Amino acid sequence: MRIPKAAGLAWTSDVAGAAVFAWGVALALDTSLGGGAPRGVITGAVLVVLGGLLRLASQYGAQILGFDEGRALAQARRALVFPRLLGITGPSAPALGATATLGIDHIAAEQARAARFDPVRQSATLAPLVVVLVVAVQSRVAALILFATLIPFVIGMILAGGAARQAADRQMAAITALSALYVDRIRHLPIIRHFGAEERIARQAGSAAGDVAERTIAVLRAAFLSSAVLEFFAALSVALVAVYCGFSLLGLLPFTAPEPLGYRAAFFVLVMAPEFYLPMRRIAAAYHEKQLGEAAEKALAVVPEPAARPAASDRVLLRDVVVVWPGHRIGPVSFELGATGLVCVTGPTGSGKTSLLAAIAGQIGQSEGTLETLPAEGIAWAGQVPLLLPTTLDENLRLGRPDADAVAVNEAVRAVGLDALISRRTEGLGTAIDHHGAWLSGGERRRVGLARALIADRALLLADEPTAELDAASAERIIALLAHEAKHRAVIVATHDERLAAVADKVIAL
Amino acid sequence: MIARRFPLPLPARVRGRITIAFLAALAAGVGGLALLGISGWFLTGAALAGASGAVAVFNYLLPSAAIRGLAVLRTAARYGERLWSHEAALHALAGLRSTLFTRLAHADGRSAPDFSGGDASARLIGDIAALEDLVVRRPGIPAALGTALVGLGVVLLAGWLAALLLLVVLALLLAVLAQMPPRLSAAPAAEAAAAVSRLRRMLVDYAAARSEIITYGLADRVTSLLCAEADKLDASQRQLTRIEAASSGLLILGSAVAAAATLLASTATPPLTALAVLAATASIEAVAAIARSSAREAAVVEGTARLRSLLALPAPAPAAAPAAADTAKASPSITLGGMCFAPGSRIALIGASGSGKTQVIEALAGLRAPFHALALGGTPLAALSADALRAHIALAPQEPMLIAGTVEDNLRLARGGIDAAAMEEALRTVQLWPRIARMPHGLDTVLGEDGGVLSGGERKRLSIARALLAGRTWLLLDEPSEGLDSATEAALVAALGAWIDARGTGLIIASHRPRPLTLASEQISAAAIPAAAT
Repeated sequence: MRIPKAAGLAWTSDVAGAAVFAWGVALALDTSLGGGAPRGVITGAVLVVLGGLLRLASQYGAQILGFDEGRALAQARRALVFPRLLGITGPSAPALGATATLGIDHIAAEQARAARFDPVRQSATLAPLVVVLVVAVQSRVAALILFATLIPFVIGMILAGGAARQAADRQMAAITALSALYVDRIRHLPIIRHFGAEERIARQAGSAAGDVAERTIAVLRAAFLSSAVLEFFAALSVALVAVYCGFSLLGLLPFTAPEPLGYRAAFFVLVMAPEFYLPMRRIAAAYHEKQLGEAAEKALAVVPEPAARPAASDRVLLRDVVVVWPGHRIGPVSFELGATGLVCVTGPTGSGKTSLLAAIAGQIGQSEGTLETLPAEGIAWAGQVPLLLPTTLDENLRLGRPDADAVAVNEAVRAVGLDALISRRTEGLGTAIDHHGAWLSGGERRRVGLARALIADRALLLADEPTAELDAASAERIIALLAHEAKHRAVIVATHDERLAAVADKVIAL
Repeated sequence: MIARRFPLPLPARVRGRITIAFLAALAAGVGGLALLGISGWFLTGAALAGASGAVAVFNYLLPSAAIRGLAVLRTAARYGERLWSHEAALHALAGLRSTLFTRLAHADGRSAPDFSGGDASARLIGDIAALEDLVVRRPGIPAALGTALVGLGVVLLAGWLAALLLLVVLALLLAVLAQMPPRLSAAPAAEAAAAVSRLRRMLVDYAAARSEIITYGLADRVTSLLCAEADKLDASQRQLTRIEAASSGLLILGSAVAAAATLLASTATPPLTALAVLAATASIEAVAAIARSSAREAAVVEGTARLRSLLALPAPAPAAAPAAADTAKASPSITLGGMCFAPGSRIALIGASGSGKTQVIEALAGLRAPFHALALGGTPLAALSADALRAHIALAPQEPMLIAGTVEDNLRLARGGIDAAAMEEALRTVQLWPRIARMPHGLDTVLGEDGGVLSGGERKRLSIARALLAGRTWLLLDEPSEGLDSATEAALVAALGAWIDARGTGLIIASHRPRPLTLASEQISAAAIPAAAT
């Protein structure tokens, strides 16, 4: 038996409150039945309320403890998954939308399972045993009856439950598929409208929804069988206990009474009987969380780990390098770049310029050919959508080299043409920014990335579309800057810009 | 009650299911109440009879049979309730989905809400799924009220005071639970929603800068920023959990208080008191279902409002003239800025990237509002309906825009009634037929999302084949040979040329590569087309 954690134990402790409640009801009724003093009834009523308070405490505590256990799991998952989601790039990295789904929705699903399902699952092995033991103190036969219903219940659950679980999983798969179809059609509405196919697609989508509804209902008939089995045995256990106790009190049992049974004990046992199957009903109520949590766990398990870096070298050398992923093939590309020089990678949108740059940075493994590149510490990257952390502009510029001196920072800022913008801000370099770069335009963000790469002062500078979104004068300035930089370090640029390609020492067309 | 919350009138079939589900839920609730109550009454009666030696006159057969019968009834009723309420929900949702889709599909693409982003469409699906839960739960609410009232009636057997006390407890619980949780959870719920959307934006922004994060070794720093935001989310959710746990705890306490009150206030015989005590607890448990549903309902209010606003889009006009007929009647010219091109012209749209080629092409195809001065048949685009545009223009866009489904599903999008021979001819023209024919399922090959199994160049060509099959006066190709090797590109361009020659189709083509531009006989620079006069 798995030892329950705190929340599971709290759910189990709920039995204590139930027992106090049951004892209070039995005591009060027994007293009034025997014509006893009203004090007994009052004591009973007080016990009933006390039992209610205990149950409140147990269940409240169990839910909070369960939340905390789920939160602990989520924190551990985030610490593991976030660096992976952010540490891989290229085609094997999840797309932006998928990254958010994995990092937020899937972790939330696992969290909900750990908070709501796992604790009740853990208590479901222990709590029924406790109920049986408590009942046995008053009536061994009733305890035995409860326990005995467990055997056909388990058989019933094995027969109906397995099918039901499959059915429930299939139902979820069908609904997920239908949702995906709707998302797809809605996303493609522009092209559907363009071809005037609304009517046909709407008809198809409508009948797909109807089909799934019909099929799902068939599936649900099986899925609800297991809950019917549970429901039946929960009711049956109460009925059997009631009939046994009643006939025992009447002295009408068809066999010799195995134990003396008083009214108080009998009533206590009756009120406790529904508690026996309660943990199983809680499991059934949280089954959806379990399903979603499991699906999420599977999805998160396949988030790939970062690729191994190629062996460090002191130059960039590509020999017949090919990068392949389903539907795309880049290369073969061959070139060599020593300590200085400017290489431009050109090609239309989607031809794989950024991915080739990432391969040169050692962030994506190539499929064919040999690739030598500098170690990570020797590379600076100026991306299309530069990283902005919610801190000052100054700190953002120094991300590649936190100990850079102010002169280097000012120089780089001037070189990329951000000096005018910064001098307009009252706090200058100390101005705070957010992760979205609130007051920066796309071109300005790009220039922050380039300045940061200059401040990092690495032997190899990789720049992805450094002149996009810039006006002609600014672009000229950046082109001159890159040409100048290429005189004392290696520079590789991915670009559409013919003016930039014109000053390159070498142009690689994809 | 259900019709008021659900954003569409429910069909009779669904309403019927909801009614049956309600009756089943009521039977299950009352059955459960009776099972426990009669058991208690039977036990107490048996104890009295046993003690007084009146066993012979105590009718034990009827109650013991009733107990067993109720156990079966409760099981069957609960099963029925679940099945019928889910049936109702599934049918209601199927209807809602298709109505919603039809409304969205018939809206003018240039002004309709944009769902091309994954987020927006996923939210729409989420809103709909939340409604499903709402419909499933609805039959339970009146049934729970009914059960509580039956319980109240049973408690009346123990005297009017006991019944009055139960009524007070029920009313207090309902009032408190209807007021307090929504009020207390409003602020943390809003914080949680804000934290989630902040976290989502941060994660997407940071993921877009992965290469920099790796290069400068910033993964740990960024992770701790994200985790700090996630902790804020957890903190507000813990607050919500506390409110939820306190509400359910209050119900448990309420049920104990009701039981104690009945015990103390009962003026009836012990068997009826036993019956009343157990009935009182069962009524409060029934109320718990109402409290849970109202908590969930609060969560779907916003989503329901969003769906309502989409459903308010106009219903489609009953009979739109078929597009193909229009095309046959008139072949309009196209005007780009100051230049008018006769039908059958072949125009290369040239210019650096970012000069607006795709903008011009998408505006002509009715995918976006025109920025440039463009006209079809002499009428400025802005004055034409999307219907008028698409009757004459077929587009193979820069992004292939393939729908999830089979190759055939994608081709059939072009127009109704395309036969297999036409599909083969179009696929041969785009040099894709050998590839498709080699696949085990041929035209029935399932492509998956965004063209899944095909390569980038193949997706592009499938999208061109689709535009060819549409059979419009004008064919618009945006970067048709991107991602193709030189031999395939040459074959594609030659076959396209032959196709156009045979049909006299007009062509507007934009490409970075020289060879496809040879299809054109005239050139116009996108940058030279002036903006539309406003």
